[in-house]
Amino acid sequence: MAADLPHTMEPADSGASASTGADAHGAVHVHIASSRFYVGIFAALICLTIATVKVSYYDFGAANIVLALVIATMKASLVAAFFMHLRHDNLFNTIAFLAAFVFLGIFILLTYDDTGYRGQVDNDYGGKIDPRTGQGAAGGEPATSATADSVAAEKAPGAVVGKKE
Amino acid sequence: MFRRCRNMVVTERTKMANVSEPLQVPGHEESHPDFLQHHFDTPAQQFGAAKLGMWVFIATEILMFGGLFCAYAIWRGQDPKVFDEAHHFLNKILGASNTIVLLFSSLTAALAVRSSQVGKRNLTSFYLVVTIACACIFLVIKYFEYSHKFHLGLLPGHCFGHPGLSAAIQNGEEVGTCLRMDVNSASVMPEWVRAVDEEGHVTLLSPRANMFFGLYFVMTGLHGLHVVIGMSILLWVLYKNVKGSFSPAYFTPVDLGALYWHLVDLVWIYLFPLLYLVGKPE
Amino acid sequence: MAVVDIPVAGGAVGHAADEHGDPHANYLKAKSGIGSWMYTLDHKRIGLMYLTMVSIAFLVGGIFALLVRLELFTRGKTIVDAETYNRFFTLHGAVMVFLFIIPSVPAALGNFFLPIMIGAKDVAFPRINMLSFYIYLVGVAIILTSIVMGSVDTGWTFYTPYSVQTANSVISMTFGVFVLGFSSILTGLNFLVTVHTMRAPGVRFARMPLFVWGMYATALIQVLATPVLAITLLLLIAERFFGIGIFDPKLGGDPVLFQHFFWFYSHPAVYIMIVPGMAIVSELIATFSRRAIFGQFAIAMSSIGLAVLGFLVWGHHLFTAGMSEFATMVFSALTFLVAIPSGVKVFNWTATMYKGSILWASPMLYAMAFIFLFTIGGLTGLFLGTLSVDVHLTDTYFVVAHFHYVMMGGTVIAFLGGLLYWWPKMTGKMHDERKAKIGFWFVFVGFNAVFIPQFIMGSRGMPRRYYDYLPQFQPFHQASTIGSWILATGLFITAYTLLEALWKGKKAPRNPWNSAGYEWMTDTPPPLANFHAAPVYTRGPYDYHLATPEELATGPDGREIGYKDGHVSALPEHGRH
Repeated sequence: MAADLPHTMEPADSGASASTGADAHGAVHVHIASSRFYVGIFAALICLTIATVKVSYYDFGAANIVLALVIATMKASLVAAFFMHLRHDNLFNTIAFLAAFVFLGIFILLTYDDTGYRGQVDNDYGGKIDPRTGQGAAGGEPATSATADSVAAEKAPGAVVGKKE
Repeated sequence: MFRRCRNMVVTERTKMANVSEPLQVPGHEESHPDFLQHHFDTPAQQFGAAKLGMWVFIATEILMFGGLFCAYAIWRGQDPKVFDEAHHFLNKILGASNTIVLLFSSLTAALAVRSSQVGKRNLTSFYLVVTIACACIFLVIKYFEYSHKFHLGLLPGHCFGHPGLSAAIQNGEEVGTCLRMDVNSASVMPEWVRAVDEEGHVTLLSPRANMFFGLYFVMTGLHGLHVVIGMSILLWVLYKNVKGSFSPAYFTPVDLGALYWHLVDLVWIYLFPLLYLVGKPE
Repeated sequence: MAVVDIPVAGGAVGHAADEHGDPHANYLKAKSGIGSWMYTLDHKRIGLMYLTMVSIAFLVGGIFALLVRLELFTRGKTIVDAETYNRFFTLHGAVMVFLFIIPSVPAALGNFFLPIMIGAKDVAFPRINMLSFYIYLVGVAIILTSIVMGSVDTGWTFYTPYSVQTANSVISMTFGVFVLGFSSILTGLNFLVTVHTMRAPGVRFARMPLFVWGMYATALIQVLATPVLAITLLLLIAERFFGIGIFDPKLGGDPVLFQHFFWFYSHPAVYIMIVPGMAIVSELIATFSRRAIFGQFAIAMSSIGLAVLGFLVWGHHLFTAGMSEFATMVFSALTFLVAIPSGVKVFNWTATMYKGSILWASPMLYAMAFIFLFTIGGLTGLFLGTLSVDVHLTDTYFVVAHFHYVMMGGTVIAFLGGLLYWWPKMTGKMHDERKAKIGFWFVFVGFNAVFIPQFIMGSRGMPRRYYDYLPQFQPFHQASTIGSWILATGLFITAYTLLEALWKGKKAPRNPWNSAGYEWMTDTPPPLANFHAAPVYTRGPYDYHLATPEELATGPDGREIGYKDGHVSALPEHGRH
């Protein structure tokens, strides 16, 4: 069904061809910036570097690291977008680049879920106190005073006796 | 969503879809230039593939260094005081100089690619040489930093607490030859010791600072290794450029070599503040 | 509707052979001599070389497995002492995971078929493909050296603090694994770029064969996860060498951090193992049910879903390692989520078979075994994902049986099925179906005989990696060991069947299974350039209702339709509407 052929093909002049940088003969065409432009980006990078060093002499507490990372990310974005030509390149290249950071973020976040919460035992699942006797229930960890406090606190504001699990 | 994905990377063969092609005949100059590999249909397809491949590779490098940044983040979260104190032993001026050197080398690398894109061979060589020279300067500054640390005994792991460290202690306490923990003993961590940092301030240095220096050396060491690899790649590109392999139609290796170099710069952009700058100022 | 558009008679196909060999000649014959194999850039030859190496690795890992099971036949010492036993199970694990199963389907079958299935002449970077094979060889050599130098007894997971303190050759073995990781990354990178940039006209993403989707998803995982393994092993080596302290509590470090690092790679790694297996099964079920695969796009998306979700669940290997309770709850919930895409696939495969015209050839038997065994393995994974149950089952034989069901009952079974399915295409020879089926039954029965007793004794408390055990477990261990002999017999029969075909097999027709798949449209075995004319696809790979009778015919000989004596003629248009 030769008539079907053209419809199943991608159009020869899709917008993507501009970003791939191809012409009708398949030769390579890319966006070429001027030297001045590159020097301008370099100047911006130097300014940001000076900024980040100057800022490090002041103490903003917890915001120190956030500020440092924000400035670093701005610098990295300039390098990636302009020196590495991502701005005028195939969108998928940018996606590949950003995907690495996304997965890295998952790694750091979920590992922090562990290391940042160590030693915090969930009282409901830790020591269980039998409400009838006030002693530790059979099985599980021995009752801690923290657990007793939390059970007492639940009972105090008129809660139903014998709390439901 | 799929419509967009489909248009993101165009297979060059679709341009010639209306005529089913016989297999490429090597040696036909207009349709088949020398640099075009036999399994690609057009130079644009080859270039697009090479760029995508390089970006995927860059993504893998980010994840590899990222593991170290994760270790840094976790550790710093657990022991912020150690990090705050220990980082004073890194020289901010040398670190900032290294940053500027690398940023400048990134500029010259980008200019090298640009020169290649417009066919200026000699200018390309010039910029490549400057980039490589900056890499050498970076390594020299690094050498000074490292040797200063060795002298002070601020080394990773077993080697932490070299005799040189006692010279930096002002209150006369003897630290001993090595602060390494005897793995067979269950002894308690020794006390913090007083030491003089890079800016001449007396500060408290915990033996647990060997963690900081361990991370410092692994991170900057791995980065330094990539600087050396990047230099080698750029040297090879320089060689090929001098031989005349590149033109406005084919400058892919220059582009990819520069991309690798920019990656090296990117990693340093994050390393510099996290190691040298972030902590309580005195 | 034609699948392949071919220029009119006399089209310029008669061009001279170049340094790569005649592009129209059978790839096995295009060039000869050992140099033509060692320096080849042809993805098909590279695939075959990988296949040879992973088969040898499977043999070595299998021998270690038989030794482990033999030692466990009786309590106390049976053939070796405890220290050697520890080395045996460590090597079984390390060799099987890193040398066999991770490269197996992608590097062997994927390399061979991915370009053909998208209508390309080769992968995007043939030289990097070759490099990845040589890096693999270097990694193998380093690991062999490590074994000779005293080997490792830490378990294939190299957990700290033992791996930091033990006197054995941890550094050399981990460095070998580090090198193998690069081989994996380069293969994945190649596949990603090939799929994005080299698809033939008509191969839209939504119409790509599911095997290619599987390879694509696997490549995503390989590229994103393996670098973290690289840094993990580097840190372990630095820890051993310099005593940095990152994993040592006495120096302020955290041994559980090693486990986080390790499993961030190793959990996605198990998806590197299973997704290609599932990709093969999709192909097998479509061909042997002679129907379009049900929910093709859903299966494709479920492969991507597995790739992404697989990165979120690594903590389920650390439930009892000392993680915070909060993290255990997060990871348990995410683990239940990752079961969903696998379920989507199993449902769609079953729906494909409904009202299909089933051919019970040996590859189909393997596909059925896959569904049965993988389902058991997957469901038992849910047991392990449940925190309260995992406390009892972790580090017991239940876990061992679970992962063998998914890795062996899943990937290895699918791999064998794929080999039998594509053996004619790769070698041009038909294997003996009868022997293949006998081998299958030995494998299937033997496999269940090995691992069902392990589920039972695991749930009754038999710990894993133990040299000695209590008397009540003896019958189970003995049953399991006898099962291992049956399984080994089946594997040897199957290997024999495949190898025998090379020497005594009949010449294979073009399309012995009457499949509509793209790879069956070209010569059997394929020519060096994969096709005689650049293909253009006007139907999907499972469109049995659109394929012409010629395309589905077994074929009088191994040649692509319309290609004869160096000429390509116009394809007669036969519709089937």
